[in-house]
Amino acid sequence: MATILETAASAGCFNTLLAAVDAAGLRAALESAGPFTVFAPVDDAFAALPPGTVQTLVDNPPQLARILKFHVLAGAHQRADLVGQPEWESLEGAPVPIRRNEPFEVKNATVVTADIACDNGVVHVIDRVILPG
Amino acid sequence: MTPTATAPAEATKTPLIPPSTHRYADVIHRLEAGGSMLPDTPENLKQIIGIYKAYAVPMDFYWRDLLYIAEQVFLNPLPAFKYFISQEYLDLPNSYAGDQSRLRIWRGGDKAHPELLEFMATGETGSMPKLLHHLWHDRVNMEFAEACMQAMLWHQGMGGRFNDYLESDAYKANADRAIRAYFKGNPVMLGLYKLFPEMFLEQVRQLSYTANLGLFWEVMAPVFFEMSDIYDEGGFKGVPDAMNFLVNGIFAVAGRPIYHHVFIGGECFEIIPKSEGFTWLYEAALPYVEAVFYRTSPFRGTKSYNAQAGQVPSDQASFHYGILYADVYPVGSAGIPPTLLMQDMLHFLPPYLKEIYKQHRRGEEDELIQLGITFQRSMYNVTSAVIQALRCALLYPLDDTDPEHLMANRRFFEAQMDRFLRPEARLADIQTQDYR
Repeated sequence: MATILETAASAGCFNTLLAAVDAAGLRAALESAGPFTVFAPVDDAFAALPPGTVQTLVDNPPQLARILKFHVLAGAHQRADLVGQPEWESLEGAPVPIRRNEPFEVKNATVVTADIACDNGVVHVIDRVILPG
Repeated sequence: MTPTATAPAEATKTPLIPPSTHRYADVIHRLEAGGSMLPDTPENLKQIIGIYKAYAVPMDFYWRDLLYIAEQVFLNPLPAFKYFISQEYLDLPNSYAGDQSRLRIWRGGDKAHPELLEFMATGETGSMPKLLHHLWHDRVNMEFAEACMQAMLWHQGMGGRFNDYLESDAYKANADRAIRAYFKGNPVMLGLYKLFPEMFLEQVRQLSYTANLGLFWEVMAPVFFEMSDIYDEGGFKGVPDAMNFLVNGIFAVAGRPIYHHVFIGGECFEIIPKSEGFTWLYEAALPYVEAVFYRTSPFRGTKSYNAQAGQVPSDQASFHYGILYADVYPVGSAGIPPTLLMQDMLHFLPPYLKEIYKQHRRGEEDELIQLGITFQRSMYNVTSAVIQALRCALLYPLDDTDPEHLMANRRFFEAQMDRFLRPEARLADIQTQDYR
């Protein structure tokens, strides 16, 4: 098996996410043993944000890190675990609600592929960037 | 090529969810169609763009002087000259304008607006020493800006992490370092600090909110200037276009850091470092809208409130004195702070707005009231942009095809409109053009 970041890199559709992880200085943390649950937005999810949004965040690593940490939970949680609770505390501190079981929805994003197992956790692919609030 | 038959247009599609039954159902349906709380008419567009421009000129002073006060004046016990902005801060390049900008919002330059500089030189009275302009109150009314800051400070937890951080040990340690450095060699003030540490800390908190507001408005001024330029060249087709420009602007700058740096003896003290991760959207814009557009505080001035008759709510969370609830005429005669802003805007009205006011009501005699109501319309449009931006960030696209998603959006819009059910709200008034 590969790590979370290695899995994302080989998928080919997480270029923006990986660049953001590096810009925010979170690579070492996400390469560590964890384990983590990562809700990974695809490139199109970042592209759908209005112009300038990603650029402003990339220019400001602490602010970017906060948004990225909102996509990460401590522990490796499969879909079956996640739907058992209405919300989960993100590494950012704000809760991530599980809005629907079928289709599987996390906040206002749909999970397009769930339960991708990695050495140091689980990845669930989502179609939108999720934001606290 | 054989033309293919196409399906009939949208008009014949069955709506995916039933209509709203809310009192403001019409407004909700308009929001769901991508519109604003303000109806889409050519005059509404003209009014709001004109007043955005008139607001942006004094705002160009407010943000610079707020940062001057927060970063330089700091804990001066007798800040009689806090509105006498230094040349360095008057010349501060706006991060969102000018060639040097990494994210250029306004096509214009990064320096203070030429109309602002002209007004600072002459005011209404003409050329005279700055001190006389200041004492005569023939100047930009910074007291309005400070009143907005105080509203944010008093209402405290209006969202985001900023207020909690001001109570943290890290903040207290940062503030302590700055306070000691500022009063170094001053045994009287250091002695007072030892006796009353919380008083000094509270002053620093107030200054942190001052920095917060300065950084918030540094963004809004170029946004409004650019909207005025786009309108002048015919680039907005209607009110929704203007609202969407604001929505895009909100997202583009959402991640801007909010911080408080103080400069003492040439050294920078980070009272709130950028590394805390505070953002323009969560720690500045959203708390500002809640504290200032909705709540603010009873007006100090010539209006009085009968406490025995419960004319001021005992629960601060029930304050609804913001522009969205203002009855402009009596508020206008109440004094500080709304009239201060109205007077500021009066100085920078574009000719097409002055023309509208001349033709209605009492013409030039009640320009201040008419422009106050225009300002109210414009802030309902800004609030609409905030509501749409929140919907976009936290909920679903307007053209989503999942009825559950659309109902989630519906519940959100209805909850927002619930805020305007109270009798003081002006949402119903702004639906007609005759409200002036």
